[in-house]
Amino acid sequence: MKIFLPSLCILLLTLAGSALSTYWQYVFTISIGATIVGVALVMLVGYARCITIATGSMLAVGAYASALTVLKLGWSFPLALLTGLFFGAIAGYVLAVPAVRFRSHNLAMVTLVFQEVVIIFLREAKSLTGGAEGLNIPPPVFFGIVIKSDIGNLVMTGIAAAIVIFPLTVLLYGPFGKNLRALAANEIGARAFGISPRKYLIAAFVVSSAAIAFAGALSAPRFRIIDPDSYGVLTSIFTLAYPIIGGMNSIWGGLLGGGALRILPEVLRPLADYIELMFCVLVVLTVMYFPGGLVELVERMSARFRQGKTASSEAALDGAETRDAMVKAMPPAMPREDEVAGAAALRIEGMSKSYGALQAVKNVSIEVAVGRLHGLMGPNGAGKTTLFNMVTGFTQPGAGSVTSFGRSLSEVPVEERVGLGIARTFQHVAVFPSLSCFDNTLIGLGRNGVTASMRRSIASARAGVAAGEEREAVMAALDAVGLKPLALQPAGSLSLGNQRRLEIARAIVSRPRLILLDEPVSGVGADEAAQLRELLLAINRELGVTMFVIEHNIGFLLSLCDRLTVMSYGEIIAEGEPNEVVATQHVRSAYFGDKATA
Amino acid sequence: MSELLMVIIGGLASGAVYSLVAIGIVVIHKATKTVNFAHGGFVLLGAFAAYLVVVKLQWTYWAAYLIVPVLIGGLATGVELAILRPLRKADLFTVITATIFIGIGLSEIYRLSYNTEILAMPKPIAGAPFFFGDVILTRGQLWVAAGALTAGFVGLLVFSHATIGRSMRAMASNVRGATLCGYSVDRVYAIAWFVGGALAGLAGVFAGPSKGISPDLAVAMITAGFVAAVIGGFDSLRGALLGGLLLGLAETFAAAYVSSAMKSAISFLLLFVVLLWRPDGLFSEAKVRDV
Repeated sequence: MKIFLPSLCILLLTLAGSALSTYWQYVFTISIGATIVGVALVMLVGYARCITIATGSMLAVGAYASALTVLKLGWSFPLALLTGLFFGAIAGYVLAVPAVRFRSHNLAMVTLVFQEVVIIFLREAKSLTGGAEGLNIPPPVFFGIVIKSDIGNLVMTGIAAAIVIFPLTVLLYGPFGKNLRALAANEIGARAFGISPRKYLIAAFVVSSAAIAFAGALSAPRFRIIDPDSYGVLTSIFTLAYPIIGGMNSIWGGLLGGGALRILPEVLRPLADYIELMFCVLVVLTVMYFPGGLVELVERMSARFRQGKTASSEAALDGAETRDAMVKAMPPAMPREDEVAGAAALRIEGMSKSYGALQAVKNVSIEVAVGRLHGLMGPNGAGKTTLFNMVTGFTQPGAGSVTSFGRSLSEVPVEERVGLGIARTFQHVAVFPSLSCFDNTLIGLGRNGVTASMRRSIASARAGVAAGEEREAVMAALDAVGLKPLALQPAGSLSLGNQRRLEIARAIVSRPRLILLDEPVSGVGADEAAQLRELLLAINRELGVTMFVIEHNIGFLLSLCDRLTVMSYGEIIAEGEPNEVVATQHVRSAYFGDKATA
Repeated sequence: MSELLMVIIGGLASGAVYSLVAIGIVVIHKATKTVNFAHGGFVLLGAFAAYLVVVKLQWTYWAAYLIVPVLIGGLATGVELAILRPLRKADLFTVITATIFIGIGLSEIYRLSYNTEILAMPKPIAGAPFFFGDVILTRGQLWVAAGALTAGFVGLLVFSHATIGRSMRAMASNVRGATLCGYSVDRVYAIAWFVGGALAGLAGVFAGPSKGISPDLAVAMITAGFVAAVIGGFDSLRGALLGGLLLGLAETFAAAYVSSAMKSAISFLLLFVVLLWRPDGLFSEAKVRDV
């Protein structure tokens, strides 16, 4: 039901508008047209956090493409609309491929380049585009009906907007939108679970540009004449205000921002000269005081209205005793087809890495047998993190290889490793703060390729919620770590210890065979460290998951691991039974200095 | 040959102004990690202030060269204090959007207070042009090229040698470290914005007579300054200086030998090429890698 609401609202607006005078019908028409732009920008600016200054040029692409198909090819208006959409998608792709190599200001500058080049082209290619004078656009013809009246325009715009906003809603509400937000919140964390930044950002550009171009095509006939000046940089910048003022974290922000801001110059005619300045002031005030925009403001007010429903944010968690039972309820990890029987869960061979003259890791080889809890410790600067990053694929090794269950990982991109049954956690927790615990864990399931997530978005729109099987897996994982009562809380509101649990839930939900843990108890208190240890032990015991753990906390490693490797100055200095290893002479001297052992 | 020389001088004159703008952007970015998209607005208001001083008050140009930088520097410090200081903990995205709209807001303030198509300013230096054989050089061009370049060099020297420059460089390389060494973040940020704003104001005084004053000046200057800064590697003042000159030359060459459309397209082409093939700029200083 939720999925139909935005489109339904557009249709209701259309209906309401048609009962009013022709002036208001005109106002409602441009308002509804702008909601498309607003929603498209919520995807690109709000969810993906890409600052685009190319919206004007995308509107131009749609307007000119549709106008030219009508004028030069004599196609009908509905086909022209689709042509605009199509060219918008292509333009979005052309812009995105170079743009997404950058972030923040450089990305914005590439979009500005695109904007300016399109306008220069429209101005110079006179024989095609009419140059600075522009093109005369005939009124749209829909299946033989010439649409000239205000009400005709309103109905056409309303229906078209409702249709094009629906797929955007599906994508924004579904896993595609959530993955985009995850990516914007923490790129490294997102990549580790199969979300490719490049592919997702390109997809966001393509989809939103197509929708914006569609809006441009839809509104072109109303202008009667389209010229390059109507689609300049300032148009781009003022449309950027739609999602910011409306609210960047929700589709309603785009609807509200686009719908309300676009008509301000019409409604406030006497102040028309001051509108742009007002926009600027509003945007600055919004980013300073209401980063969530109008939507957040409304939510805050309605929350105050219905007091009392203050969720007990961090409810008491179940004790560790019941942990085993809950972990047991999860289905254990199953061997995958391409695994080599009898091969080590993780085999690191001859790994080296230098930074300039500093050799951070020197010819390290470690073998982690299936089912083990293998720890890696070492003093600061021992090269643990460098080694870990090479094993997880985030750092290119200088030399050496990594295999897991007999498969070489050297050529496997970071994004594809979760699909091989390898999951990881992060030293600096990399949960996605604005998403709920449920959604965080859902991302851990993998299947996060762009097309897969789009398909899943459609599936979940049909089912109303996440598909049953996914839902069960996620709830089981959350239950296993004791976070089930907090499933709907945003991850950012959890304590550090609970965020670490959430990372573990996200790591085990895909039922991996191997988990790489990067300092799982760094920054948490002793009690919580003990609980996390019990949890990891239970996961290892009940699910048969092999673990490779890096940790500073020696006591924690000793009580968790059944095998321990010690590194110092980039080399392995000891390996074996944990208690025996820490008792050896050179491990003691590496940690405490030579004097301590004397 | 003589035409070539005139094109070069013309290119250096507009390029020197771009350099000033770019150095301002880089000073602010280096010291405060803020990419200031409002810089074009500062330049526009600088040109407008010069117009008020020279045309409305009928003072000499020298007064404009002295007063305007202080005025715009003060304005920039005010913007930092009122808007960007509260946003210091916010992410880059928020800060960038804020400066974009601050820049547009500044242009709007100009447009609302002086709503004409374009304001013309008298030439700063009167007198017959110089003739060297076939080569004709106007005094205005020479003055802008020499004056803006000198100002740019002074800015560069201040940043790399003077005490305030050291505090900004310290802040640039490590905020926490600089704070622990007794540099005040608030003070350094205010100084950086003042210096950046003053350079933008000065660029406005130089640009006003040759380019005319209109809101388009703000957009033209922020793009040119940004492109010049990117060419220079965005973190190097010397690079920004050279980048501005290179951009000015490229524009005048494109206008003289290709077409006027190419003149507006060339800066974007340059930006694109540099970003994609040399994202660290053409003349960037050796960087210490983040380990």
